[in-house]
Amino acid sequence: MATAFEFAPAIALFPLAAFVIALVFGDYMPKKGAFAGIFATAGSLLLSLWVLATVAGGEPYNEQLYQWAIGDQIGFHFGILLDPLSALMLVIVSLIALLVHIFSLGYMNAEGETGLRRYYAELGLFTFSMLAFVFADNLLMAFMFFELVGLCSYLLIGFWFRTESAPSAAKKAFLVTRFGDYFFLVGVVAIAATFGTLSFAGTESFPTAAEAAIDNGETLFGFDAETWVTITGLLVLGGVIGKSAQFPLHTWLPDAMEGPTTVSALIHAATMVAAGVYLVARMFGFYAQSPTALSIIAFVGGFTALFAATMGVVKDDIKQVLAYSTISQYGYMMLGLGVGGYVAGVFHLMNHAFFKALLFLGAGAVIILMHHEQDMWKMGGLKDKAPVAYYTFLSGALALAGIVPFSGFWSKDEVLFDALIVGLEQPLFLAAYAMGLIGVFFTGFYTFRMVFLTFHGEPRTDAARDPHPIGWSVKVPLIVLGVLALVAGVVNLAPIGKLTGAEITFLEFWLDGEYGAIEGLTYHAYHEAVPFAEGYIGTETVTMLVGAGLSLGLALAGAGLAYSLYNVPEPVPHTEKLGSVRTLLRSNYYQDEYQVWLAEGLTLPLARAADRFDQGVIDGVVNGVSSVSLFGSGWIKRIQTGVVTNYAALLVLGFIALLVVLGLHGGWFA
Amino acid sequence: MSVPVDYYVLLSMALFCIGLFGILTRRNALMFLMSVEIMLNAANVNLIAFAFYHGNLTGQVFALFTMALAAAEVAVGLGIILVLYRNFRDVDVTVPSAMRW
Amino acid sequence: MMIETLIAVALVGALVTFVAPNKVAGKLAFAISLIPAALSLWMFTAFDGSGNALLDGQLAFESRMEWIQLGEYSISWFVGLDGISLPLVVLTTVLITLAIVSSWTPIDDRQSQFYGLLLFIEANLIGVFAALDFFLWFVFWEAVLIPMYLLIGVWGGPRRKYAAIKFFVYTNVASLVMFVAFISLVFGLGDSVTSFALPEIASAMLEGGPGSFAGIAGSTLAAAVFVAMFLGFAVKVPVVPFHTWLPDAHVEAPTPASVLLAGVLLKMGTYALLRFNFTMFPDQVEAFAIPIAALAVVSVIYGAMLALAQTDLKRIVAYSSVSSMGYVILGLVAYTQFGVGGATFQMVSHGLISGLMFMAVGVIYNATHTRMVTDMSGMADRMPIAVGVLIAGAFGYMGLPLMSGFAAEYFIFFGAFGSEMLEYAPAFTALAMFGIVIVAGYLLFAMQRTLFGPYRLETDYDVGRAPLHDVAPMFVLLALIIALGVAPELIFDMIKDAVDPILALGGGA
Repeated sequence: MATAFEFAPAIALFPLAAFVIALVFGDYMPKKGAFAGIFATAGSLLLSLWVLATVAGGEPYNEQLYQWAIGDQIGFHFGILLDPLSALMLVIVSLIALLVHIFSLGYMNAEGETGLRRYYAELGLFTFSMLAFVFADNLLMAFMFFELVGLCSYLLIGFWFRTESAPSAAKKAFLVTRFGDYFFLVGVVAIAATFGTLSFAGTESFPTAAEAAIDNGETLFGFDAETWVTITGLLVLGGVIGKSAQFPLHTWLPDAMEGPTTVSALIHAATMVAAGVYLVARMFGFYAQSPTALSIIAFVGGFTALFAATMGVVKDDIKQVLAYSTISQYGYMMLGLGVGGYVAGVFHLMNHAFFKALLFLGAGAVIILMHHEQDMWKMGGLKDKAPVAYYTFLSGALALAGIVPFSGFWSKDEVLFDALIVGLEQPLFLAAYAMGLIGVFFTGFYTFRMVFLTFHGEPRTDAARDPHPIGWSVKVPLIVLGVLALVAGVVNLAPIGKLTGAEITFLEFWLDGEYGAIEGLTYHAYHEAVPFAEGYIGTETVTMLVGAGLSLGLALAGAGLAYSLYNVPEPVPHTEKLGSVRTLLRSNYYQDEYQVWLAEGLTLPLARAADRFDQGVIDGVVNGVSSVSLFGSGWIKRIQTGVVTNYAALLVLGFIALLVVLGLHGGWFA
Repeated sequence: MSVPVDYYVLLSMALFCIGLFGILTRRNALMFLMSVEIMLNAANVNLIAFAFYHGNLTGQVFALFTMALAAAEVAVGLGIILVLYRNFRDVDVTVPSAMRW
Repeated sequence: MMIETLIAVALVGALVTFVAPNKVAGKLAFAISLIPAALSLWMFTAFDGSGNALLDGQLAFESRMEWIQLGEYSISWFVGLDGISLPLVVLTTVLITLAIVSSWTPIDDRQSQFYGLLLFIEANLIGVFAALDFFLWFVFWEAVLIPMYLLIGVWGGPRRKYAAIKFFVYTNVASLVMFVAFISLVFGLGDSVTSFALPEIASAMLEGGPGSFAGIAGSTLAAAVFVAMFLGFAVKVPVVPFHTWLPDAHVEAPTPASVLLAGVLLKMGTYALLRFNFTMFPDQVEAFAIPIAALAVVSVIYGAMLALAQTDLKRIVAYSSVSSMGYVILGLVAYTQFGVGGATFQMVSHGLISGLMFMAVGVIYNATHTRMVTDMSGMADRMPIAVGVLIAGAFGYMGLPLMSGFAAEYFIFFGAFGSEMLEYAPAFTALAMFGIVIVAGYLLFAMQRTLFGPYRLETDYDVGRAPLHDVAPMFVLLALIIALGVAPELIFDMIKDAVDPILALGGGA
């Protein structure tokens, strides 16, 4: 009987087929190729679920399927690694992709959009790239599909290419992530050259080789093994920071809102941005070897979580608020992974995928309702007119803010708990924890500011008073995700488990390989490798309660502040009272400015100077050589006068000169 | 007893220099052609004198060749001069100077 | 006799096309060029050679006839293919066929001469890659210049004379330097060689090296010859600072000539470097590794920076060729399997990708009559298919995975990073790799400004969709690029086979 694994390549190949079909035949198909994408992603989802069930049955899968390039000492191949982590991620990605495809029917097709063929083809390619990235069994394959994900986001962000802003945003997204990917590629090359393998799992994997090198105290490329692992790990991290929009390479993400909202949902929830954090989780065994790399991950994550949350406070565009919330939430995941909280990070990745897809699709629904208006100050009062959109959006908002019992609470709390217990022993991490904790307050505030401004109060414009209706294809994905955002937390109710002693932390068991996993890729193995000591305030339970209480309290405080300020019939922009701080926040801490300056103020003049040098000096020398010969010959050619007499005279003179020379040489005059 | 070869060489040298002087100073193409003829004949004198001096006939044979050549040259040269006159209404050799840089 | 057939078909085809009426010349040349293309593809499948042509390898399609006895040296008609030259021959024949099709639209006068020259250049290019006798090789090498000089000088843009003469004189002077150096090497080798056959010279070099010649000691002579030949080929590649003829030639050349110039002519330089410098002089390669690697890195970064400053689409692609060929040099000097193999792979890959880019720019030029980035925007609105292919080609240039550019660059980077012969290899590699960021920068900038945004065009031409025969060659190239990106082993297998004997001589494995 055929097993799920024999069909595993089809998980990615279905969307690829949809890409080809939509690209070639899209114009002749009903809904311009949407159904090809829907059927393909539905097929991927079913297969992913089958794979998930098979993995749960205790059968992980790690096979090389295709030799890409073979050398004497190292071969590069494509393969599939299906373990609890990748099986889980496959389900998430294909589910979100399916829902986005369905939602697109209502969002894109209904609007008489041109270029739908292109849209669905690119969505298919996007899904293909991400799914292949997720089940990649080695770092090179991961890198390759990581790049393809970048390409697809470029194409989709720039979907409305006839505008000025969308192509610019697309370019920025690709360029900034390319900058990160440069480090990633150096890292890939370095790891391949160092350890001779790029596999994630198995005895021949690079985390294993790194561990062995550290244990044997080897010297690699002039560094001791642990330093080299840190260096290569940080190089790979460059790609993660670019793709997952962590500080300082987060600047592309808010601009990426230029793409269709459905694309934003896909990018933020399940594909592009998720790819970075997923990669850290995928090769966690490697990072676990390097405390330095882990603490940098934790710090970058904690800082980004707070940093992005503060910027979200002052945005007026509903998609901008969500964009900064995405940056912030991925910061939490990085924080969780950085302190060794592998389960917490993955848990938050999963929950975030659901509630962020929900929020973006909800925002898309709002934009349909509002006749393509995105400014929250022009909305208001949509609560009663579009109850489905309102209640599902609320579910997502509660999850994002981390209000119990919505899914976001459980995972964010676990991240913070893991940061806290490590921070209690290593005070450095306490700072990262504190940043994450303060970020919770801001998250609660901007989330509910968004909800209240959009849905509550009185309608502030004609569009808000008379919203455009939304169809089933919009509502169904919202409802599915709304329910998931509420209940997804039950897979890992760690606090309740600790309080009652009930064994209900299913995700932890799942990732720990209790239902089957590949040796070395389990939470236990990682946890042992991570060298951070853990401490508690009193007992573990007390610590947990203190942590959970703090974060919930702060989230509620933020939400409450937003309630008091904005849940009024005629809200006013209170953030203007912040004065110069508001200007700083609205300018995004001038991060864009210095990066644009680096590109346009530094690199471009440098390039122009190089061009002038090239044209002036280098080409000048070349032309100079030819000018000198031209000039010299210009003089010499004048002896050719065209008068025969002169030629005769020259002949005679030459003959006499020859005679004299020969004579002198021959000694006639001696 | 015969005339020593030195005298022939001196005669030939004198003829050659006269011809050379004509080429370098005259602008009339006909005078030019005549000067060239004089120089050729100077060479002929030399050839015959040395042939006589060395006692073989090679030089004389070559002198015959040169005469034939000179005849041909005159034919070509006069032809050129005719064309020259036709184009420029003049036989001044410095006028047609298009064949230069 | 396969190679002779290839060359003969192209030569006879050139003559026939030359006398054919202008109207049918394009179609006729296309039909003729299909023969060598098909033959070379058949040769590709029937390839039975192994090892390196210069190092006792088993040659495929070998043929050798005595030609001239020059004193004690014999010159022969000696051709054959190995895993390095065969892919380049196939690249040549395929690219010529596509270049002919892509000339149908832009070339509107003296067609029969134009297509005749294209076929004539094909014959010589095949000769360059197949010849294994120095003199024979040199004849083809020099003969390539003449048709290219004419293609640029007759059908080129406004400054075509300047560009054509610069191209001809610059590369010809370089050839002269190389020629003198090689001849003095042969004399230095003395009695150990009796012919100009490259395998014989290579084995003489590797067994003893040159003795003293003209008062120069053997080791000095070898080093001097190595440097002189490197400089001679560096102009052709081109390596910074010998690159300035390239942008001028590209800008003025008609599209098909640009396709060939970037696609094949530049590879002559790197091919010759690999055949001569990096095969015959392993010791000198080691001695000069650091300066060469530095030149490679400078070529990559500096070439990319120059591309960033340009506003002419053709100049952008031209400078980016400088940058891409820098990778080839880096791969060669790494002297590892993936380094040298990747460099050879990059020759083919860059030939396809730059050919595609020049064709795409040409199609846009045909429609708009301008190549200036500042003169247009929103072209995607009017020519969606051509622009789509252009975008695909640009991403290929940026090294997008699953396209051949990524495979080539990855091989080179991996090979260079772990090089044992090159000191500071990781640093050189990491520096050169930064080129992938700059290349993305200038191509994305140029694409954003020309292809996207609201439609605007400064010239008064009515832009419509490109005809099928303009777009079809680009699709063929795109298919090849993707095929090589997904399955690099298609050619990497035979390349490795031919490269391994070289590596056995020197530092790495």
